[in-house]
Amino acid sequence: MAKQLRVALAGNANVGKSAIFNQLTGLNQTVGNWPGKTVEKAEGTLFFRGYKIRIVDLPGIYSLSTFSIEEIVSRDYIAVDKPDVIVNVIDASALERNLYFTLQLLELEAPIIIALNQVDFAAKKGIRIEGEKLSTALGVPVNSTVAITGSGITELLETIIEAREPRKQTQPLKTEYGREIEEKIQSLEKLVITELPQLCMIYPARWVAIKLLERDTDVAGKLDNYKNGKQVLDYAEKLTSELEAIHGETSAVIIASERYGLAAKIAKTVTTIETPPKISLEQKLDIITTHKILGYPVLAAILASMFTLIFVGGSFVSTGLDYVFSIFTVHSESFFSSFLPEIAVQLINNGILSGIIAGITIALPYIVPFYILLALLEDSGYLPRAAFLMDNLMHKIGLHGKAFIPLILGYGCTVPACMGCRIMETQRERFLSAFVVMLIPCAARTVVILGLVGRFVGLHAALALYAFDLVLVFALGRIAFKVLPGEPVGLIMEMPSYKKPSPKNILLKTWSRTKDFVYIAFPIIIVGSIAIVASDLSGLIDYVVKGSSPLMSGWLGLPAETGIPLIFGILRKELTLVLLQEVVPLSSLSAIQMIVFTLVIMIYVPCVATIAACVREFGWKKASAIAVIDIALALLLGGIAFRLLSLLMSG
Amino acid sequence: MQFRPRRHRHLQRRDLEVNGDAVSLTCLCEGEKGVIANAFGGYGLTRRLAEMGLTPGVEVTLLRKCPFRGPLEVEVRGVSLALGYGVASKVFVKPLKVKPNG
Repeated sequence: MAKQLRVALAGNANVGKSAIFNQLTGLNQTVGNWPGKTVEKAEGTLFFRGYKIRIVDLPGIYSLSTFSIEEIVSRDYIAVDKPDVIVNVIDASALERNLYFTLQLLELEAPIIIALNQVDFAAKKGIRIEGEKLSTALGVPVNSTVAITGSGITELLETIIEAREPRKQTQPLKTEYGREIEEKIQSLEKLVITELPQLCMIYPARWVAIKLLERDTDVAGKLDNYKNGKQVLDYAEKLTSELEAIHGETSAVIIASERYGLAAKIAKTVTTIETPPKISLEQKLDIITTHKILGYPVLAAILASMFTLIFVGGSFVSTGLDYVFSIFTVHSESFFSSFLPEIAVQLINNGILSGIIAGITIALPYIVPFYILLALLEDSGYLPRAAFLMDNLMHKIGLHGKAFIPLILGYGCTVPACMGCRIMETQRERFLSAFVVMLIPCAARTVVILGLVGRFVGLHAALALYAFDLVLVFALGRIAFKVLPGEPVGLIMEMPSYKKPSPKNILLKTWSRTKDFVYIAFPIIIVGSIAIVASDLSGLIDYVVKGSSPLMSGWLGLPAETGIPLIFGILRKELTLVLLQEVVPLSSLSAIQMIVFTLVIMIYVPCVATIAACVREFGWKKASAIAVIDIALALLLGGIAFRLLSLLMSG
Repeated sequence: MQFRPRRHRHLQRRDLEVNGDAVSLTCLCEGEKGVIANAFGGYGLTRRLAEMGLTPGVEVTLLRKCPFRGPLEVEVRGVSLALGYGVASKVFVKPLKVKPNG
């Protein structure tokens, strides 16, 4: 049996951590959630020199405090699960800020190795880091890497294995603070050791002491479980107040300043600034794309070309696939009919098979290109710039610029957009953005909007629907922002430099996201298709038509049969157009009816797959609240639109 | 819970007096440098700012300022940070070089 090693990758965001992860694991990776948390957990395995190495990619964070769930997840994993080695990925071009995190890892007494990444990029900026010196200063091994090209990865793996050998053990740096703080840490540390021996089995006593002085609520909460916890807390509170009285700052800020002071000192001794950096292409790009006026047309152009490419290319591929599959289903039907009863054939062919086919014809042509372009925008560093430009506008609905990213995702597919709301910092922000994202017409809804209104009423009507949707998003976002309790969070975001994206990373990202999408959406799409066929076969549909007819014809002014596509649209939105064609001839619908129908489709709950994603992120209660609000809103607006449009047309 | 983060009202008032010459980050012009004096606001915000490198005493350069109370981009410790207007208005700096006309 191979010897096993558990390795965790830790570091700031935008340092090339996932690029290193991809270089190490390639396709042998799974992306899931941390148990019970909505934090992404990427894991992978590789074999090297007789070792089986399991690698966990921790979320990109700037600190090990309690600002976000990601930080708590990371530090608990490092402290409690105690991986054999932690590879701290560091951006060589921003050493000081990265070392701030490294120092915290050292305080956690984690067995770390440093991957000094993006050394090529730093060199371009005229920054040269001496790895040897850094290694001596920190007392841990340092490897230079360029993750994008894979250089230094083998050496990194060798260091990981060597780090476990006793003769290679080094003496990691012990962070030391200014005298007043240090005295307080040490006296609190002593108390922690004597009063809370059980806690010290998990966390280093010094770390607990520092965290208590920083008023870390998570660590303070852990102390509540211990008999002597209260006593330690009281003492910590006394010391913290003393510290704050001396410095006139909150303790967390004092300690962060000291830590940064140390980081700056180390960074200075190992860094040489070589050539004064001349303005690079990346900087020129940055100047244009973040320009306060020019930036917006550039953003609009990028998004417009992205979506044109996806929808024009997508519909082309989708039609082709449809044709191929239609031939296939005819053959499969006659094949199954030869030995199965009619009902089973219907269930298999129109249920399972057509479910899979619908999934493929939507996923492949629209979702995959969307993911590729998204990864391109992400890896190049453009997305944070888009968020920066949109910050002002997003504040109008109580969100900040980062919410623009899930919003854009929403035009592709609501499922990943819903998960993309994780980039928001607080639960409130996440929920608010998810609520808004649900109203953004996804690719499937765009198929209906363009395929029905765009084709039969005219492109201007389709565009008007989009414009109306945007107004609605802002109006509802604003209302939700006022109604939901809690303070809005401001934007604090790193603006990474532009980088040339690596094709390998983009493909791997696209692959793992597509896989994720297939796992969430496909089972539900298939079950949904079976449900449609089953209710059709059992005659349930007639009841549905009868039951919904007052609402359909009375309130919305639509033929009673349109209840079928509207109801089953919850399973799959793109299916509504096909179903509509089956129940009523499209030519019999008036322009008003088409617009009302599309409007309702556009607004009410995206689809079950989205609800499933939403439940995963926010739980049943909030997910159903969103669903109910959206359905009610769609019906309300549909009815109003019917009356208003009839009035306009007749008048 | 006893270990609740406190708001330091008394500290804020005192520091405002001490840092009489400090201005809000939003008052800097593009390209102007300043030294962080203090950040006012909730415990979470000041801590977050400190963790991102905006600690008292550090030098910052205002790179970009968006119109209509839009976000700001600053450089601190060799990194670019985007700050929303609301956040930036709570960060106080002592300008390093006072512009003749501003």
